[in-house]
Amino acid sequence: MAQTNQQLIAEYASQEAPLLPLLHAFHERDGYLSEEALRATSDGLKIPIAELFGTVTFYHHFAREPGGHLAPRVCTGFICRMNGAEELLESLDGATGMPCSGRCDEPIPVLRGKQTLVGTSADALEPRDTPVPPPSADGVEECVFAHIRDPARKTLEGYRATGGYVALERAVRAMTPEELISVIDDSGLAGRGGAGFPTGRKLRAVLDAEGGPKTVVCNADEGEPGCFKDRALMDHDPHALLEGMALACVATGAERAFIYLRYEYPETDAGLAVAIAETEAAGILGDDAFGSGRRIKIYLRRGAGAYICGEETSLLNSLEGAHPFPRNRPPYPVTHGYEGTPTAVNNVETLSSLPPIVANGAEWYRDLGMGEHAGTKVISLSGDVNRPGNYEVPLGLPLSELIEQWAGGIRNGYAIQAVTMAGLSGGFLAGDDLDVTLDEASIRSKGSFLGAGGIMVFDETRHMIEVAHSAMEFFAEESCGKCFPCRIGTQRLTERLAGDAGPADFTMWLDEVADLNLTMKETSACGLGQAAPLITESLVRYFPEVVRAHVAGRLDDE
Amino acid sequence: MSDNSGLTLFLDGEEVGFTRGESIFQVSERHQKDIPTLCYDERLEAFGACRLCIVELEGARYPVASCTTKAEPGMRVTSKSGRLEMHRRVLLEMVVSENREVDVNELAGYASQEMTTLVDRYDARTGRFAGGKSGTSRADDPNPFILRDYEQCISCYRCVRVCAEQEGDYAISVMNRGFDTQITTEFGGLLVDSACTFCGQCIQTCPTGALADIKALRAKDVEEPVEKTRSICPYCGVGCAVDIMTKGDRIVGIQPAMDGPANEGALCVKGQFAFDFVHHPDRLKTPFVRNDHGQLVPASWDEALDKAAAGLLAAVNEHGRHSLYAVASGRAPNEAGFLMQKLVRAGLGTSYIDNCSRA
Ligand SMILES: Cc1cc2nc3c(=O)[nH]c(=O)nc-3n(C[C@H](O)[C@H](O)[C@H](O)COP(=O)(O)O)c2cc1C
Ligand code: SF4
Ligand code: SF4
Ligand code: SF4
Ligand code: FES
Repeated sequence: MAQTNQQLIAEYASQEAPLLPLLHAFHERDGYLSEEALRATSDGLKIPIAELFGTVTFYHHFAREPGGHLAPRVCTGFICRMNGAEELLESLDGATGMPCSGRCDEPIPVLRGKQTLVGTSADALEPRDTPVPPPSADGVEECVFAHIRDPARKTLEGYRATGGYVALERAVRAMTPEELISVIDDSGLAGRGGAGFPTGRKLRAVLDAEGGPKTVVCNADEGEPGCFKDRALMDHDPHALLEGMALACVATGAERAFIYLRYEYPETDAGLAVAIAETEAAGILGDDAFGSGRRIKIYLRRGAGAYICGEETSLLNSLEGAHPFPRNRPPYPVTHGYEGTPTAVNNVETLSSLPPIVANGAEWYRDLGMGEHAGTKVISLSGDVNRPGNYEVPLGLPLSELIEQWAGGIRNGYAIQAVTMAGLSGGFLAGDDLDVTLDEASIRSKGSFLGAGGIMVFDETRHMIEVAHSAMEFFAEESCGKCFPCRIGTQRLTERLAGDAGPADFTMWLDEVADLNLTMKETSACGLGQAAPLITESLVRYFPEVVRAHVAGRLDDE
Repeated sequence: MSDNSGLTLFLDGEEVGFTRGESIFQVSERHQKDIPTLCYDERLEAFGACRLCIVELEGARYPVASCTTKAEPGMRVTSKSGRLEMHRRVLLEMVVSENREVDVNELAGYASQEMTTLVDRYDARTGRFAGGKSGTSRADDPNPFILRDYEQCISCYRCVRVCAEQEGDYAISVMNRGFDTQITTEFGGLLVDSACTFCGQCIQTCPTGALADIKALRAKDVEEPVEKTRSICPYCGVGCAVDIMTKGDRIVGIQPAMDGPANEGALCVKGQFAFDFVHHPDRLKTPFVRNDHGQLVPASWDEALDKAAAGLLAAVNEHGRHSLYAVASGRAPNEAGFLMQKLVRAGLGTSYIDNCSRA
């Protein structure tokens, strides 16, 4: 028997961060979000109905028509388009597209309700396990991937058999927050979700912040196109993330933590739920971690389709059930985060790095990097390479070495034309600038950044205007609409790359685009609008002739 | 914490004082810096959407929005520079590019000229950044008060915020994302079916005339200039200050006075929209009394008051003083209420008096 509205509301209303799980429950029960369900939610959670309606329409996966929940969604991210996503979309009844859904190392993903299928044609879709990262080249030592290829590692037993939860037990029983944080500080670990903020400093800021309760949030939204590393970590080594979150709780004094997981990872959602239940049953997490009297409670929350919800303050609004516009900063989440409490928001990879760092020491982690660079970074490599996949590289590794030696070089013997950095947010690198090493200093010197570590590779046959157009279209569709430069600018740049609008004169075209780029970059309210123009900026810088031909082509059309 | 003495920052090179909690914008306003804004309404929490209020802050890589950035001791702020003015102009050119009509009739609403004025100040009607337009109007909304022409909307969300923060009505909200954002009611419906109380606050804060006063716009083709006369709303005891808009000798609309001490720019549906009675042919202009045949006929105030006094006295004499019961109007100010109870208690000798809000 399906639960009634009242039963569902009673079940969720008293929980932490109830709105998203309640909406998902209705979505799954009814196959869509009906007006009746939304009115009941509005009454039950005391959210004004107009506001709730507006918030629901913000997320692209909440269906408002019957049957919408199970209707297929086909990834139309650029890598999947190269693999024929548009044809697949055409051939599936009632299907709609969705932005890059974090499986660029697999055939095209199709999401149906809570199941992901992959394939390249409608009659050959099948469920498939998340690919295990390819073995590291020459046995280079890894941090977060060290045990990931061991199939037993998913289970609590297997995790403990390979040293799991030893660091947490030590931290809970014998370490002060200060000791824990100084190990993390000394390791040189910086955020792996994009912004690269030193992790130890963030945790200390939360520990030192006035007020409480303190909160830890794991950012598992992984919405950046071309990034699929967090899913690999969560699917194959979920306990490492839970242990990392628990360590962050100990370091900050938090008793509650959330995982904010992107909608497109339903299998990961199920796997994490099992892992959390196992650790609570074993007394490792929950109300009495290791019998120490310390409470470490992890809540799992699922997003509903919005790239901006990976931006930490938008994420916090989403968790709280508010409209997911980013917040104005300062104040930062470390003092005013979830429900206004001091909150550490950290990426999956960042948190998963904590257990090995605490277990093996700061020195060990630092030494994993090359030269003066500390530690490792997982790169999600996709596009025209022979072996796409996740690679944990020592920071400082030359990009060319990753592509040529680790990933087997460019497909079909073509030459490389360009790569994207930070998924899409870092724009393109091409020409001589491909001669970088994988670390922030080197990549930032080229006007880009490493960020979350997604790199898409395009060979010489790819049409860079099309690539750039698809990238800008993504930013336009995902712009939250709060601030003017990004809301209008992403739209105008998309139109200019599509050839739909803009001056026909090349100089004037460049002039308009340069002004849009600069004003978006310098005045947008958050990272999305600040990063989007890197696409057009780098396109014009590296491929002026291609751009000239594009603009001239418009003239011919007229 | 509460010690505010000696807090200073440098504003365009000059050392100026500020109070803790003030934004850079507020400090700049006090020093007549005239920083442009479109999403700002001083009554609302700063939102940071339009980015026109950017200022340069020493040490910061990019300009910051002055409305959402708190003043801090020792800050070095530049409120105007070539770089800032360039960004402001580009932002306004972008805004113009998504609007169909930049010139708006001043009857549309209190803030309706804000965008036009800025666009002219920055000479931003250049036709640059041409492209798609956003916003779907609800021209079909049959309510008699509020025009909902979202084709002119620039998504500053002032209307949504004033409805939530000032009115507490939460009748309207933001739908969709990015360029497709759209002001909406619950399920995209009509205002009458929503929680809207037709207070008109959203109209008065809208900087573009996307939301406009339908009643005032009836007079848009009347040739005479608009004149505004400060007055007090006649409806209730709160005493909201209003600016009565007239063209010639006719009242054409009401705007709330933003500096009204009792209302600070707020009104309710009556004060905002219910003024048609003034020029209505059925409006009573003299007292009426019944003649010997029981018909109502016009009379002078003296006649009418004498008649009322005689009637009241007759009732007291015949049935005793407690046979009377007075109900004072909720629209009466304190002074009138006082006089009413004086009349009833001292004049008629009964304590049977109440207020219409309770009676
Ligand atoms: C538009 C946008 C999207 C983002 N998406 C993600 C994301 O999906 N996952 C993530 O960890 N960080 C994302 N971030 C970065 C977060 O805001 C935040 O910096 C990060 O989660 C902090 O964790 P870290 O310090 O461990 O990197 C995004 C930032 C922006 C501006
Ligand atoms: S930059 Fe874009 S995504 Fe960020 S707040 Fe502004 S509109 Fe929203
Ligand atoms: S008229 Fe008043 S209640 Fe109605 S939408 Fe506007 S601000 Fe809200
Ligand atoms: S209707 Fe007016 S006040 Fe509301 S968002 Fe649009 S421009 Fe701003
Ligand atoms: S007034 Fe500051 S951003 Fe609009």
